[in-house]
Amino acid sequence: MRRLFLIAATALLVASAGCGGSSSSNGVVNVTVWHGYEDIEGKAMTSAAARFNATHPKIHVTVQNYGNADYALQKVLTAIRGGSYPDIAYLYGSWAANIARSPTAVDLTSRIKEPGVNWNDFWPAERQAVQVGGKVIGMPALVDNLALVYNKKLFDQAGIPYPTANWTWDDFRAAAQKLTDTSAKQFGWAYVADGSEDTVWRFDALLWQAGGDILNSDNTKAEFNSPAGVQAATLLQQMATVDHSVYLDNGNGNYANLFNSGKIAMLFTGPWDLSSFPDVDYGVQVLPGLTNHQTISGPDQWVLFNNGSQRTQAAWTFLKWFTSPQQALIWSTQTGDLPIRASETRLPGYQAYVKKYPGVSVFVQNEANALKARPVIANYNEVSQAMGQAIEAVLLGKGQPQQELDQAAQQADQTLATGQ
Amino acid sequence: MISRAARSEHVSGWLFVAPAALLIGIFGILPIGWAALLSFQNNDLLTTPTWVGTQNYHTLVNDPVFRQSVNHTIVYTLLFVPLSVGGSLGLAMLLNARIRFSWFYRTAVFIPVATSTVATGLIFNWLLEPTYGVANYLLGKVHLGPYGFFQNPDQALYSIVAMTVWGWLGFDVIVYLAALQGVPESLVEAARLDGAGRWATFRHVVFPLVSPATLFLIVWSTINALQVFDEIYVTTRGGPLHATTVMVYYLYSQAFEFFHAGYAAAIAEVLFAITLVFSLLQLWLGNRRVHYGS
Repeated sequence: MRRLFLIAATALLVASAGCGGSSSSNGVVNVTVWHGYEDIEGKAMTSAAARFNATHPKIHVTVQNYGNADYALQKVLTAIRGGSYPDIAYLYGSWAANIARSPTAVDLTSRIKEPGVNWNDFWPAERQAVQVGGKVIGMPALVDNLALVYNKKLFDQAGIPYPTANWTWDDFRAAAQKLTDTSAKQFGWAYVADGSEDTVWRFDALLWQAGGDILNSDNTKAEFNSPAGVQAATLLQQMATVDHSVYLDNGNGNYANLFNSGKIAMLFTGPWDLSSFPDVDYGVQVLPGLTNHQTISGPDQWVLFNNGSQRTQAAWTFLKWFTSPQQALIWSTQTGDLPIRASETRLPGYQAYVKKYPGVSVFVQNEANALKARPVIANYNEVSQAMGQAIEAVLLGKGQPQQELDQAAQQADQTLATGQ
Repeated sequence: MISRAARSEHVSGWLFVAPAALLIGIFGILPIGWAALLSFQNNDLLTTPTWVGTQNYHTLVNDPVFRQSVNHTIVYTLLFVPLSVGGSLGLAMLLNARIRFSWFYRTAVFIPVATSTVATGLIFNWLLEPTYGVANYLLGKVHLGPYGFFQNPDQALYSIVAMTVWGWLGFDVIVYLAALQGVPESLVEAARLDGAGRWATFRHVVFPLVSPATLFLIVWSTINALQVFDEIYVTTRGGPLHATTVMVYYLYSQAFEFFHAGYAAAIAEVLFAITLVFSLLQLWLGNRRVHYGS
């Protein structure tokens, strides 16, 4: 209740924190990098900057944590508005179209052709995500995808064979039901049901598996209310409101703790969650499928912001170094994140990485199942919110799949037509 | 003509209020004017804004989520204000009595006010968790529930009311305690000698004497309630299904999630008008009913 004033004050603070790295003193160019990494990844970030600074005497990179990456876009935009902003910021792939509209973001189109970048070595999903209207607005920072992570012990107890790569939706639903034990407060599956992008992207995978799509090919009309969309939403409805085999997470991330304490048997999740499950002997399998086993990939990016040509050049030097195969593999080995380049898998250190993180190789292979991307449009957030509300209503038993999706599609169409 | 002495007094007077006036000007008046301008623009905080006249206001009128947010804000306010002000008067009366360990109870009542909203939100998220939460466990012991609380669209707003009343009760209690200490013992005694019972003493002596505190708390709580935000931001984030989307939360999501800053400013203007009407009404009523002593 302490009003919006607090937010504004925080934004100001964040903005003023960013102006640390000013221009050159004694010939050293300062570069500021904003990221939202915590714990192991946060340490890896700091150590990467230290390695870079040790080998590049003319540049000094400072890394700063901006808090939860979910809200990074508003923080960065507020900082730009305030006139003092970082040289590089970690931003989600779904924001690419918003970022592209900012005159402060540096267009990297010509730079990625420089020798040593080897652009086509990045995964297709990553390259797709940073290209907006013929501009390249960032360098790939992270790639991940959704797979089925399951608790082996709970499967053994229920006497069910582990999931296979050929699992169908029916197999999945039946297993989830068997793995649910109401008296023990144990659930077969968990779903984030807060209507946010977390709710939507898991649905996207199901929608694609059923042969549907989010929007039409030129992004002018919603298509997620197709029969395929209804089929996907119906699966969620049946599992949540008939079988009651789904734990509905209200967006606070409880599902990870509950999986780690053996209360949830299966998750649709990515490699970033694996380090949260130290107490569980888990297995990883590609997602169950319908007409195919498509997954969804969530590539994020490092965006460069123009603070004058000298700093931009220095920041680019850092990014080029940081996203090189050698550095990227060091990063993956330290954090468990997936390789951002195909050539990393051919480096000698790669086997050590796969051995260190059980299950991670399934995610790497699963990248081949990431065939489609979410639409890169400026009003994606509005489309996503409309979908999120519909899916949430279905999960909570407050609406029927067809009717809810139709209503959401109508809203999305309006957004796409007017830009509002 | 102003005399020299009067003029220097004039100048020093202005100097005294200058720091406060400057701060209020920069952080209060200026943003109000800027927001008013913004509400007539199409502004995404990124590209050059365009002038759209009253279009934002026309959109507002036909926006179902905005209407919901106004309803939620008013329902919230109509529940929060009487519960917190009334409840705190009762508690303050109890705590004002000469009882053992009253210092302990007073501290216990005030602690929620001093606790960070984020911590409160996290705790309530777990307490009210439908499957594993303590609240449903305890209610189950007396054969009630289980309730969905924050996860049930029909219960979420009331859960927020309960959480915020708990959180702010202590503040109101402190104000009332101070007011109650100001009630002269002689008046209470005189009333008793005249044969007034407990209720009559309260109704005709104590309640009128603390009425300035009551007016202050009602106005203050109403303004706060109309602008409720943090508690919702750290628990339900406006959901489920917009059930706790109040005006300030909707404003926030329009401005900082969808980058419709002009539209958000229009919401702010409507909120400003509602707050103004509520406050004027209360002050007008208050001036007729409040007893400020002789």
